[in-house]
Amino acid sequence: MRIGAIALFSLFGIACGSSFPPPNDEWSAAKEDIGRAESGGAPQVPDAKLHLQLAAEDLAKSKQLIDNDNKRAASLIALARVEATLALSLAKQQAAQDAAQQAQSELQKAKAGQ
Amino acid sequence: MRTTNIWGLLAVGLVACAGERLPPKALVDARNEFTRAKAGVTVQLDPTDVHEADLALQKAEWAWNNDPDDPTTIDLAIIAQRKAQIAEAEAAGIKAQSDADQARHDLQATTSSQLQATRGQLNQTQSQLQMTAAQAAEQAKKLVDLEAKLKDARDTIAKIAAVKDDDRGMVITLQGEVLFKTGKWDLKAGAMAKLDQIADALRGKEQPMVVFGFTDNVGTREMNMDLSQRRAQSVRDYLVGKGIPQDLITAQGKGPDEPVADNGSLEGRAQNRRVEIVVQPKKS
Repeated sequence: MRIGAIALFSLFGIACGSSFPPPNDEWSAAKEDIGRAESGGAPQVPDAKLHLQLAAEDLAKSKQLIDNDNKRAASLIALARVEATLALSLAKQQAAQDAAQQAQSELQKAKAGQ
Repeated sequence: MRTTNIWGLLAVGLVACAGERLPPKALVDARNEFTRAKAGVTVQLDPTDVHEADLALQKAEWAWNNDPDDPTTIDLAIIAQRKAQIAEAEAAGIKAQSDADQARHDLQATTSSQLQATRGQLNQTQSQLQMTAAQAAEQAKKLVDLEAKLKDARDTIAKIAAVKDDDRGMVITLQGEVLFKTGKWDLKAGAMAKLDQIADALRGKEQPMVVFGFTDNVGTREMNMDLSQRRAQSVRDYLVGKGIPQDLITAQGKGPDEPVADNGSLEGRAQNRRVEIVVQPKKS
């Protein structure tokens, strides 16, 4: 009887996705990634803003899946993290290109003043 | 035997079916994105992120081959595509940063060059100003020296002749009796001694001079004009002989014109018979 109860409990645990622990730490890390992208200027760059929104949506979906489907939740969190990273990269790219354009403009002005 | 064949056909059918299955759009996009990143400058500028994208794509491909219906397979394909996009964005950022650094470097070089040119011009202007100031100081000193020499000359001459200033310059007046015998233009010995002192005083002044000869009104005007011209010329030639530059001194006879006293009296006629040496102001 006791052995049967243990086996039943084990089967129940596997069915609930216990082989995939709740990705709470990953979720927090993704949240931080989104915060970094926001403070890195992503909301001001259209392409970056789009990926930032995708990251937020993926993260929200993953929150609903944690404890029910941890494997899919972890996958969505990984996706959210990569979307946030891309948003930050695009924001940095835009800032660097703006700075290059500004420097080029100043150079042309200086040369024109010669 | 029949059972075995049925299972075999079923297995072949399943494999064929799986083999014909097209990959999801996300995976196709990931492959294209990765190919683009690997073919361009991205792999040179950001090889680490390209490698990450490569690994992610391999993972997505494996998932597609082994568990195509798992929802996470699509997630992995999107992740692979995003990683390739990250590599491209990072590389573009690195390239822009490099361009900005180069432009700033060029700007610094240009500004430095302009500054150097401006400094050069400033130094040149300062040199010119210093030179001009030095020249002005030298001119001022020369003027002071000249004025001092003129004063000395005037003091010296004042001891032997009448000296005055009018609008023509400094006028040295010598009476005719002192210089010449009546009706003659040869200088007396005593006259030469006076003219020697005048020449000594005026030598080196480099100022233009005119020797004017005057007579009284006794005799014809023609005779007096001739006599006054000859007397003026005698004085002029003597002074040239004593070192006054000949191109600075001229002679002119005025005859009885411009008398300074009444020709009706003996004293007046004596005053009118005279030679004036006019030292004109130096032309700058």
